[in-house]
Amino acid sequence: MALSEYIVLRDVQIPDIADFDVYLKHGGYEALRQAVKHKTPAEIVTMVRDAGLRGRGGAGFPTGVKWGFLPKGVYPRYLLCNCDESEPGTFNNHQIIDRNPHQLIEGIIISAYAIECHTAYIYTRGEFAAASRTLEHAIAQAYASGFLGKNILGSGYDLDLYVHRGAGAYICGEETALMESLEGKIGQPRLKPPFPAVAGLYGKPTIINNVETLINVPPIVEKGVAWYRSFGTEKSPGTKAFSLCGHVNRPGNYELPFGVPLRELIYSPEYGGGMREDRPVKIVVPGGASAPWLTGDQLDVALDYESLAAAGTMLGSGGVIVLNDTVSAPHVAYKMDEFFKHESCGKCTPCREGTHWLVRVLHRMTEEHHGHADDIPTLHDIYRQMAGNCLCLLGESAVMPIKSALDLFPEEFETLVKVQHAEHRLELTSR
Amino acid sequence: MPEIHVTIDGVPVTVPAGTNVVDAARVAGISIPVFCYHPRMKPVGMCRMCLVAIGTPKVDRATGQVEKDAEGKPIIAMMPKLMTGCTTPVSEGMVVLTTTDEVKFAQRGILEFLLTSHPLDCPVCDKGGECPLQNLTMEWGPGNSRFDYSDKVHFEKPVPLGDLILLDRERCILCGRCVRYQDEIADDPVLGYENRGRNWHIISKSDPPFDSKFSGNTTDICPVGALTTADFRFRARVWELKSVPSICTHCPVGCNIALDMRHDQIKRVMPRENGAVNDIWICDKGRFGQRFVESTERLTTPLIRRNGELVATTWDEALRVVAERFATIQREAGGEALAGLAGPRLSNEDLFAFQRLFREVLHSPHLDHRVGMPGEPHADNLGTELGVGSGTNLMTLGKGTTVLVFGADPEEEAPLYMLRLRGIADRGGELIVVNPRPTKLERSATHRLRYRAGSELQFTRALLSVALAEVDTQQRTPDFPGLDSLRTTLQSIAVDAAAEAAGVTVEALRTVAQRFVQAENGIIMYGADAFAVGPMLTHDLGNLAVLAGKVGRANNGLIALLPGGNARGALDMGVRPDYGPGYTSLSQPGLSAREIWGAATEGRVRGMYVMGIDPANDFPASRGALEALEFLVVQDMFLTATAQVAHVVLPSASFAERDGTYTNAERRVQRARQARPAPGACRADWTIVQGVAQALAGMLVPVAAASQSATEGYWSQDGSEQEGVSRNGQAWNYITVSDVADAIADTVPGYSGITHTSLAQTGKVGTWGRQTNEDYFYDGTNYENTEGVGLQYPAPVEQQRTTFTLETAPIQSAPIDERYPFVLLVQRLLYDADPLLRDSLLVSHVPAPYVAISTNDSRRLGIQAGDRVRVSSSAGGIELPARVVVDLTDGSVLIPAHLSGAPLSMIQTGPRTHVALTKIAQR
Repeated sequence: MALSEYIVLRDVQIPDIADFDVYLKHGGYEALRQAVKHKTPAEIVTMVRDAGLRGRGGAGFPTGVKWGFLPKGVYPRYLLCNCDESEPGTFNNHQIIDRNPHQLIEGIIISAYAIECHTAYIYTRGEFAAASRTLEHAIAQAYASGFLGKNILGSGYDLDLYVHRGAGAYICGEETALMESLEGKIGQPRLKPPFPAVAGLYGKPTIINNVETLINVPPIVEKGVAWYRSFGTEKSPGTKAFSLCGHVNRPGNYELPFGVPLRELIYSPEYGGGMREDRPVKIVVPGGASAPWLTGDQLDVALDYESLAAAGTMLGSGGVIVLNDTVSAPHVAYKMDEFFKHESCGKCTPCREGTHWLVRVLHRMTEEHHGHADDIPTLHDIYRQMAGNCLCLLGESAVMPIKSALDLFPEEFETLVKVQHAEHRLELTSR
Repeated sequence: MPEIHVTIDGVPVTVPAGTNVVDAARVAGISIPVFCYHPRMKPVGMCRMCLVAIGTPKVDRATGQVEKDAEGKPIIAMMPKLMTGCTTPVSEGMVVLTTTDEVKFAQRGILEFLLTSHPLDCPVCDKGGECPLQNLTMEWGPGNSRFDYSDKVHFEKPVPLGDLILLDRERCILCGRCVRYQDEIADDPVLGYENRGRNWHIISKSDPPFDSKFSGNTTDICPVGALTTADFRFRARVWELKSVPSICTHCPVGCNIALDMRHDQIKRVMPRENGAVNDIWICDKGRFGQRFVESTERLTTPLIRRNGELVATTWDEALRVVAERFATIQREAGGEALAGLAGPRLSNEDLFAFQRLFREVLHSPHLDHRVGMPGEPHADNLGTELGVGSGTNLMTLGKGTTVLVFGADPEEEAPLYMLRLRGIADRGGELIVVNPRPTKLERSATHRLRYRAGSELQFTRALLSVALAEVDTQQRTPDFPGLDSLRTTLQSIAVDAAAEAAGVTVEALRTVAQRFVQAENGIIMYGADAFAVGPMLTHDLGNLAVLAGKVGRANNGLIALLPGGNARGALDMGVRPDYGPGYTSLSQPGLSAREIWGAATEGRVRGMYVMGIDPANDFPASRGALEALEFLVVQDMFLTATAQVAHVVLPSASFAERDGTYTNAERRVQRARQARPAPGACRADWTIVQGVAQALAGMLVPVAAASQSATEGYWSQDGSEQEGVSRNGQAWNYITVSDVADAIADTVPGYSGITHTSLAQTGKVGTWGRQTNEDYFYDGTNYENTEGVGLQYPAPVEQQRTTFTLETAPIQSAPIDERYPFVLLVQRLLYDADPLLRDSLLVSHVPAPYVAISTNDSRRLGIQAGDRVRVSSSAGGIELPARVVVDLTDGSVLIPAHLSGAPLSMIQTGPRTHVALTKIAQR
């Protein structure tokens, strides 16, 4: 059942909402007007907290609570909008900034007002060149209409908003690496603590929120907590823009209330429209490449934070990758870990060396066809030596594909090395 | 600091709050392996080697109380993941487990990971044998590797980071210690990273590459063989080396070094830890600049002039000729026709013996340790008299300390002081840098003032005025002789006008005065640019220290940066015309170096003994006087410019070829050991001096001992020492150098009790906190100091024996000659034409001479960088290429000292020279 009212992907219903006038016609910047004229920053923080808005970047941390971590009386503060969307299988941020930029900008202004900051940045993925220009154009329009800059709407509140394009590194989506990159340094994660809310950009209190998180703020402010909570579940209120890809008939971004079963996302004609050639589902990666895998017999799991966690995985970025029975689990693990190896910044040992080693072993197994039985326990050890020991979540994420593959499809690895071993012997005898 | 109680592997330990888990474990005698962590730098938690299990007492959220189990013990909630010990500060009741299976698995895993990218080329690696990666692998690592060797990533090896340091990117484990050292400690942020993942590597970001005077230290702290020095690379295996403790004599810091010897060869020079001097660092000049010791140009036999040529001779003949010629001159014209110069790098024993020879045997009062060049430092007594109190340790200073650096450029004059002062600022101390020109230390300063060159005394008088007002307000006025007259003088000073003349604001002066007066500890450091003004300025700095009550205690007082590694020792030993050993007054002062040249030209001085100093090179104007001498004996390691005009040349041993003691800028007497035999017939300087004295026996006319009788001094009221001085006439029967040191201890006031034996007993005092297995992590650093850390003799002011009075002489403003509108600033460089840099890699770091002018002056005079400029004064002129320095004050020009091709003495007219600039050729 499709949403009657979209919150995030409003461009589905209003295709030209990226146009400033169209956005205004549909009540654009009204929430901002209400906020700066009639609400105190604290009231907005309370609203966002009560609405139960949770961070859409992956961790699902309650946004209002995060805002509350800012130390009192320490200024300046910064708001960073994380648009370095690089997680494999995830592409909703791109659609938002390209098709619905004004709602994001409005969300950023209201959020900045709520946390009492006067400078905000949108850090976009380097490859989003055209979309970043759309965003910059929209920001210029907002400035020209008095929604940004000095004395916004006569309220006395000032805010400057900048778009900063990254140079194409996945790690810069990690919040501390993002700040390093924004400061002009090499994009590598910082040690936590201190957490960004205490000492972030330029050592000042900083809030970092995902694009999809911030775009939820104007509807919450405009339509209220109760309205917002009418979507989704008790603990995961609201909607989620899922990015669906893989062997489905209709890949794309679909906004669903939290709690819809995975099966519906894949098979509903409004969404995925079923599997290509009606082949069975073998693997579902529900939250971007960093999420542990589900298998074809787990399709009834509800798509919300709690249900997915209970199923041993996570909602993550909402990038749902659906793979059918034609794929080889070791090969999928290889391709995914190759991504993490390519994107590992190199700062900490287990991620730098572990991803490299994993990929070398998997490459030998899946591409060079001379794996060895010993490789299987070695693979187990490599990810165990990484798990929990890395400096940031990139290394931890790299554990997920190989761990899932080994746990869920051990026989595929065993077959692979047995076949290869036999082939190798044949090769030797025929020589 | 509040104390925190933690339990590590069942061992309870109490450490100050803020200590991290790794350091807390060291206190408990438990080793947590580390690579990226280094106790001198901020932790980053990159290598993940120090992963341990950590738990904290469980706190009931409702009551805020620690939950207890049935036995009343706190319930410990273990953290869900292993934590890096280096980045986790201890908290009350914390429990740390370092040997659980989980921890062992993780630590073994990290080592296995590190070794997957490591080339394992230990057999050809210079670090092999002192490599933390080897050590930790043996203790915590896996027995073998499951990694397919063909999967290793390869890089070109090695690549130069600079001409001194090479990087092997295959061996590098990317701990980032070198980059962080350059950023945090050296303040030369010239290293960085490039690329990412397995291709992440260290690069140099500067031009010229790795532009830092402290680069060698990165090779010490590198935990693998990734960074090696061009100086030591492939020279020896470390287990063949024997470390001999020594002292660097290049500058007044007196860094503790170790000469790592294989047989008789110095294979490398390493720092030796001394918290009070150099911590665990040395500068590149100390590390790479000792190659002169093994130079093939060393003299190996005595030389004597025959038929105009210097030819080899025997010691017997050489000493006999020296004695005979000196005796002849003394008989004919008295001891006053003889003069002696001994350099400020020689040991105390050499200098003491030398002045004894002159004062007691030859009865000549004409002694100096300088060459008489205009602009060289006056004989500075204040650095002793009001020197930093005994027990001073810059390493312990931070919040509550104010250091005022006046007219000094520590990076060039005494490099390690820059690191020490930066450390004080880092730990929350105030660092006030006052200079007439830009210096690197300014970057670390909490307050920075630039005065107009030539107006230093206006500056100090204005500063003294506001400081006096401040001490009066604070009711901290000291009871010191001369206070009233100082008050009267200062009252006549218009602070506004003086500040304006000096080019600073009264506000800035007031801030400096307040910070200095109110600080718990205050230190004033002064150097070349202060000495360029003369004794009135340094006396003003003494006035300030006394007024503010910053003398006579540990961590308070003055530090004077004089050129030469043992200038303080030379002043203490009385190698100077105005005072005897230990600052005892002389009834009849002698001639200073500058006066000697005049006397030699006029024939009043007929014979000279020049030891370890090269006036003909340093001050070419002295050549005429040297050539006019009837007899000149030069004692040196090399055939210097002065030696080339000598009648007899005596070859001496280097600092590495004999034992000796040296006194640093903080009056710390430190002992260096003999590391190798002297080449050929070279002998230790004191031995040769004694040889001359013995050869003179019976040849001289007896003289009434009037000229050398010590009458008064700082320590004069001490009867026993007075008696000691009178014992001067003892025989020349020193058998070892420690006999000379004993004589110094017996007779030189202040040095009482400082003997080689007592120096050896100063033991392994340090801050490093060595413990079992420490070598595992910090191997290859040679930090251990087993040979004593030196003794700091008390400053006279500590014992209320100072003769210092608060006073200010009136400023005599010389009329400015309009033909010479620019003030000449002479910059002392670390890498200059010092002949002792010979054979070292640093020779290529010595710049070509130049004259630096400000941007405005460059525009005004139409002089571009690279143009040839004639710099002229009333004394003469020299031609140099121009450089334009953005930050230089208008009206001043800067010329580096001691560069070949820039004979500054041709234009210098005195402490302060005024010059004119004329462009003579376009670039």
